[in-house]
Amino acid sequence: MAIQTNREAKYGKDVGFERIRRITGYLVGTMDKWNDAKKAEERDRVKHGLSH
Amino acid sequence: MIKSIVKRDGRVVLYDASKIASAVLRCLQAAGQGDATVAANVANAVEEALEKECGNEPPQIEQIQDAVEQELMHAGMEEAAKQYILYRAERTRIREAKTSLMKSIDEITNVDARISDMKRDNANIDGNTAMGSMLQIGTAGAKAYNAAYLLTPDQARAYREGDIHIHDFDFYALTTTCCQIDLVKLFKGGFSTGHGYLREPQGIGSYAALAAIAIQSNQNDQHGGQGVPNFDYAMAQGVRKTFAKNYAGKLREALEDVLDTDDESVLTQAAIAAGTEATGEEPRLQSQAATFDAAAAQQLVKDGRLDKEKATHVVRHARHRAEKATDRATYQAMEGFVHNLNTMHSRAGAQTPFSSINYGTDTSPEGRMAIRNILMAEDAGLGHGETPIFPIHIFKVKEGVNYNPGDPNYDLFELSCKVSAKRLFPNYVFLDSPFNLQYYKPGHPETEVATMGCRTRVMSNVYDPEREIAYSRGNLSFTSINLPRLAIESHGDEKLFYEKLDAMMELVAQQLHDRYEIQASKRVYNYPFLMGQGVWLDSDKLGPNDEVREVLKHGSLSIGFIGLAETLTALYGHHHGESDEMQEKGLAIVRHMREFCDKKAAETHLNYGLLATPAEGLSGRFIRMDQKRYGKIPGVTDREYYTNSFHIPVWYPISAYDKIHKEAPYHALTNAGHISYVELDGDTANNVEAFESVVRCMHDAGIGYGSINHPVDRDPICGYVGVIGEVCPRCGRREGEALSQEKVDELRKLYPEVTTFCGCE
Repeated sequence: MAIQTNREAKYGKDVGFERIRRITGYLVGTMDKWNDAKKAEERDRVKHGLSH
Repeated sequence: MIKSIVKRDGRVVLYDASKIASAVLRCLQAAGQGDATVAANVANAVEEALEKECGNEPPQIEQIQDAVEQELMHAGMEEAAKQYILYRAERTRIREAKTSLMKSIDEITNVDARISDMKRDNANIDGNTAMGSMLQIGTAGAKAYNAAYLLTPDQARAYREGDIHIHDFDFYALTTTCCQIDLVKLFKGGFSTGHGYLREPQGIGSYAALAAIAIQSNQNDQHGGQGVPNFDYAMAQGVRKTFAKNYAGKLREALEDVLDTDDESVLTQAAIAAGTEATGEEPRLQSQAATFDAAAAQQLVKDGRLDKEKATHVVRHARHRAEKATDRATYQAMEGFVHNLNTMHSRAGAQTPFSSINYGTDTSPEGRMAIRNILMAEDAGLGHGETPIFPIHIFKVKEGVNYNPGDPNYDLFELSCKVSAKRLFPNYVFLDSPFNLQYYKPGHPETEVATMGCRTRVMSNVYDPEREIAYSRGNLSFTSINLPRLAIESHGDEKLFYEKLDAMMELVAQQLHDRYEIQASKRVYNYPFLMGQGVWLDSDKLGPNDEVREVLKHGSLSIGFIGLAETLTALYGHHHGESDEMQEKGLAIVRHMREFCDKKAAETHLNYGLLATPAEGLSGRFIRMDQKRYGKIPGVTDREYYTNSFHIPVWYPISAYDKIHKEAPYHALTNAGHISYVELDGDTANNVEAFESVVRCMHDAGIGYGSINHPVDRDPICGYVGVIGEVCPRCGRREGEALSQEKVDELRKLYPEVTTFCGCE
């Protein structure tokens, strides 16, 4: 049986972006592993401005 | 006549009157009334009652138990009846635990972690892998056992119903949380991992490799994160050994070149001996360099083949090359260390070790070289430029050492800001904050506050006040209080709230003490590395069969809390971010908790402390239960998580300056650990000056431990690191989209430093 060559390879199909965030003191390389509550908390985080 | 009975699962089994009699006898004995004859009489009465009630139908278990209760009451054995009711409740609890255990194991085995929240309780464990699942099954089994057999009924109820959270409950009967590993002490004379003996390392490469092994080994003896409090001081010794070797090697090579000979090792040794005699030490980076080199050159001249000018030249070049080679070796060692800690496994392969390294204050040339290179290795990232997840880097900030321009390590502090602005690490621990400064003794790095895990800090020591140090100590266990629930149930009554809080803290303090008793009865052989290799303070004074009871007292017992913001809103209508009045109310609550901990510590001579709990799995656990109980109370239970510890809510708009100043006073009160975050947008984080100004603001406000969050995204296809919105700014693809061959070829030309295009090779 012939092995199909991968000429038509689509680079990056179904590969997501990595979004590294601090969870509770440490970093996690992808949001996939976060529990639901922490995901919600991360979503709600607002940026803090530098003016007083 | 009863012949059979129906069990709970529906199975019919033969009736056995003696089982009833022996259960009754146990209750009579516990109550101190009656004997076996009385028990037999009660059992007979039960049988008669059941015959009347059921006729020819076999009775159910519940019917039999009801009858036993009634007959005990009829016989006037009220105390024994009470015992029987308790016994029944206990059996029910254990049975339910078993049922839920099987359900949990079923979920762990069969459900994808992306769907199962339970399997994502700890983001550092991949619940989809074989070893991750096995770890989770062990966790579920241990939790069921511990809840059924090791907690008092009060503690079990408080834990089950979400009044409190007992952290790392699966390890309740097994070990302690974390430890700051003193690498300088551990490496002296070598050590054993339990699987083999390692000689004292002789160069920076082996120092760094063994540091990773030490962290890995200790991780398997404890359930929390491992810290190194003195990474720079320890690595400096390796740098020093490597430089001495390089100096000799480069000098010999230079001599052999100049003299056109094969082996000048004898002359090299003589020159180094002369330098050592002049300075009292081996060749060192910078330290007494001129004196050493002059003495070495003089010795070369004495040999007769080189004049003074030539000899000086040879020595100068040898030193210069040795410096360069040592710097290069140090960078490679630090790079290897970071790679190791992100790839090596612990706990049967389920996790990378949870590691923290503290550094920044060693001002020796060797220490500075180590600090600069660990920062540069972090900056470079992993093989594809990924941001390293471990170790957590903690930069120790100290005035006079690295905080102000002109301080010996100020350049390294500036470098740390540049790296953190790109990689999220280092975090910053501030030694000048009064509650940290009180321990600080110049020249004694063990008195510099260090952190480990998510935020743990252990400094005070009521057990041994002479040793208020960071080294070789850690947390034994911690339990957190559901503060918002106490507030909700107080219905705005402040006095009632404090009464409830006191009662809950008493319960937690007792539970921590009970857990300590279990931990204390373990032996040194239970912790072959932590205790067997003398990592924990004073464990080197124990034999392998000794109890660890006394030495564990150097550790801390921590009472934690979550949701101060929701607590204030429930009690008074708004939170401490919104008004100074609420800030005072918040501080009063946290101060009250700290005073309780101090009182407990004074009474027991155990290191009770107050912890601003990290709350990862806990962030959603309490609030889910409270929503069921009380519904969605605005500002209290209307989100999916309670706010972390004393933080201003993440969703509340506030300036960085105000947030830092609002949170800083709580750092002074939470002596078992704390951290504050500031969230910056990507552009601000890229501005190193702005970044440093936030760190300086934290220092000046009296923050204990802080870090700055900003988005760090990466496209694994083209290797871009930075902020990515919908579309990758480098390759233009959206999440999940494919790139064409032409586009990949084009990217390869444009970005030759990207070694592989992930998924393309």
